[in-house]
Amino acid sequence: MRMPRRALAAAVVALALPLSACGSGGDEGGSADASGKVEGDITFQTWNLRANFKPYFEGLIADFEKKYPGTKVKWVDQPAEGYADKISADAAGGTLPDVVNVSPDLVAPLAKAGLALDLDKSAAKYKKEYLPGAWASHEIPGMEGTYAFPWYLNTGPLFYNKSLFKEAGLDASKPPKTYDELFDNALELADKSDGKVATLANVPTIEDFGRYGVELMNKEGTAFAFNDAKGVELLTKYKELYDAKALDSQALTATPESSGKKFLTGAVAMNPGSALDLGNFKKQAPNLYKNIGITDQITSTGKVNMYVMGVMVNAQTKRTPAAVAFAHFVTDAQNQMSFAKKVAIFPSTAGSLDDPYFTKEDGTDETRVRIAAAKSLKNAVNYTPVLFSEQMKTELRNSVAKALQGKVSPEEALDNAVKACDRLLKQQG
Amino acid sequence: MASSSSTAAPGTASHGAGTGRVRRQLPTSPWLFAAPGLLVVGIFILYPFVSTLVNAFTDRRTLIPGEFVGLANFRELLHDEMFWIGLRNSTLYVLGVVPALVLLPLLLALLVQKNIPGIAFFRSAFYTPVVASIVVVGLIWVWLLDERGLVNSLLETIGVGRVGFLSDQWLLLLSAMAVTVWKGLGYYMIIYLAALANVPRELHEAASVDGAGAFRRFLTVTVPAVRSTMVLVGALSSVAAFKVFSEVYLMAGPDGGPAGEDTTLVMLVQRTGTGLTGRVGYASAISVVVFVVTVALMLLVLRADRKEDA
Repeated sequence: MRMPRRALAAAVVALALPLSACGSGGDEGGSADASGKVEGDITFQTWNLRANFKPYFEGLIADFEKKYPGTKVKWVDQPAEGYADKISADAAGGTLPDVVNVSPDLVAPLAKAGLALDLDKSAAKYKKEYLPGAWASHEIPGMEGTYAFPWYLNTGPLFYNKSLFKEAGLDASKPPKTYDELFDNALELADKSDGKVATLANVPTIEDFGRYGVELMNKEGTAFAFNDAKGVELLTKYKELYDAKALDSQALTATPESSGKKFLTGAVAMNPGSALDLGNFKKQAPNLYKNIGITDQITSTGKVNMYVMGVMVNAQTKRTPAAVAFAHFVTDAQNQMSFAKKVAIFPSTAGSLDDPYFTKEDGTDETRVRIAAAKSLKNAVNYTPVLFSEQMKTELRNSVAKALQGKVSPEEALDNAVKACDRLLKQQG
Repeated sequence: MASSSSTAAPGTASHGAGTGRVRRQLPTSPWLFAAPGLLVVGIFILYPFVSTLVNAFTDRRTLIPGEFVGLANFRELLHDEMFWIGLRNSTLYVLGVVPALVLLPLLLALLVQKNIPGIAFFRSAFYTPVVASIVVVGLIWVWLLDERGLVNSLLETIGVGRVGFLSDQWLLLLSAMAVTVWKGLGYYMIIYLAALANVPRELHEAASVDGAGAFRRFLTVTVPAVRSTMVLVGALSSVAAFKVFSEVYLMAGPDGGPAGEDTTLVMLVQRTGTGLTGRVGYASAISVVVFVVTVALMLLVLRADRKEDA
């Protein structure tokens, strides 16, 4: 039985259509020149912010459209889950919004694919408005330029459960300040509770290695280096904790959410968090809230870890002046400050952290945490290398897990992790 | 469009009968009717399939088109420890889940087949897990099997002590298998109920008269009568088991359990090929392997059935 020629042609066209659609995406570059008139329609994408901050963003957009008549901003918000996948799909399909909320690790592959605008070229005049460390957080090793405006920063203290400390005979008013003290306290807590109370709930991440003082990458940013003696020392300590049940037995499969839950239920004595968590404790675990202890992040480098959010401009936007102006508007000192007053985040603009809101005590725990965090942010570091992809995080977690289970030595585990991460780095191109 | 087919068909027939010159022409209308379906199949099944096949021979990444690399991805698979772990776990899943899903729903169907008052409630109850969202089901089981969950509290009360259902790699895989079986029972039970309804009552009665007990009747009457349904269930469940993702992902976490030891092949495809730095080419190569094994599994089950028929 033969297919009529017309039907065959229709089938070929039907199949070829999606192929050609794929081929044409992404090669029509926009202009890098942001000096023209600010006008036209642009799209702005945020990362899970609509549910809690809808009025804030609607006001922000209205202010921008009023300041620049002839502009129109369409706001889209994506859920937290699968955000990177959504950006990948848009980037691959040539439908990436003009202005996108990103984190440094998301910017790196987009910049390498030529999809993020180099702000050192297109928006250099704004550089001085931001904290130098924050501006540098969207630089990509091996590339010239900065690929996103820094937006809000976050860091937080280490929370601990005072009653669990007391039950183990520890002085709850003297929480650990150094890694040695932390490990000693953890072993004692596990010993006194017969292994029922762990102090930590998570295996060490790349950020933990950074805070411990491990050199994470070589200076050129071309290879990982966290398998040095210091890295092995940290992992050996964690192995000791795991064996003594001072590191939770489910730590190998833990997520930040699951460890947060363990802290809430009193199964774990310490957990990192942010000022946001205090409200959560008050609501969900009033008993824990009464016994909550707050201490500084433990670090061997003198610098705490911070998380950076950024706002990227799509290099292929047809409205470069409007997109750059809007990305700057969202992240300028005034708008970051008003956003910070709505939620426990910290502005990345120079001088904002000296505002009385971040320096004056009012006697509440929330303010105490906020002031301490703002102070520590002035010399904080985003330890996670921008080139450290999700796949690399998995490689590290799996290698660390093998060392903790005793299947390989800490040294071998880190050697394997570095080898795997280097291979992935090369494949990233 | 209707007129072209109605005029062409009788014309063709008369030519064939009268002159012997067979001029066969397919009418266009059936193709037009089938076009929407074909288009959907073409775009959502055929195109992704061909695209995956092509990508498997390239080093394509999410944002970088990549180049043809021949069999390099498949060679890399051979030396990838995680691939072998995935293959092992997916195979174990088939071996663990399929026998249970072939047998248990049949027994369940026999139980609820009888027309006694209130049986509809049990039929619906057994079917409930099928309609429940796998995410909700997964989370409920995680809560139940957690170290401080209900199951461990009960085990501790009776003196067994806590069991690391979610921290031991083998117990984790076993727990995920249990969830798959529990969730699939109702679905396959319905298929068996349909098959059992076609088993003639006289056969059972004759076997009873001959002195066969319930167990013997099950083996000599019920099983042969529903054998082809058992093969169908075996084929369907083995394909589904080999491609397992949700249960293991939800219970073992995105990393695939401690040190990734519970990773299945489809989880590996997801982990390797998604995200901004995803290795689409390599993930496609794993997908091709999954496809080949799935087809092989189907053929194996169907062939075993044919052999028994012969």
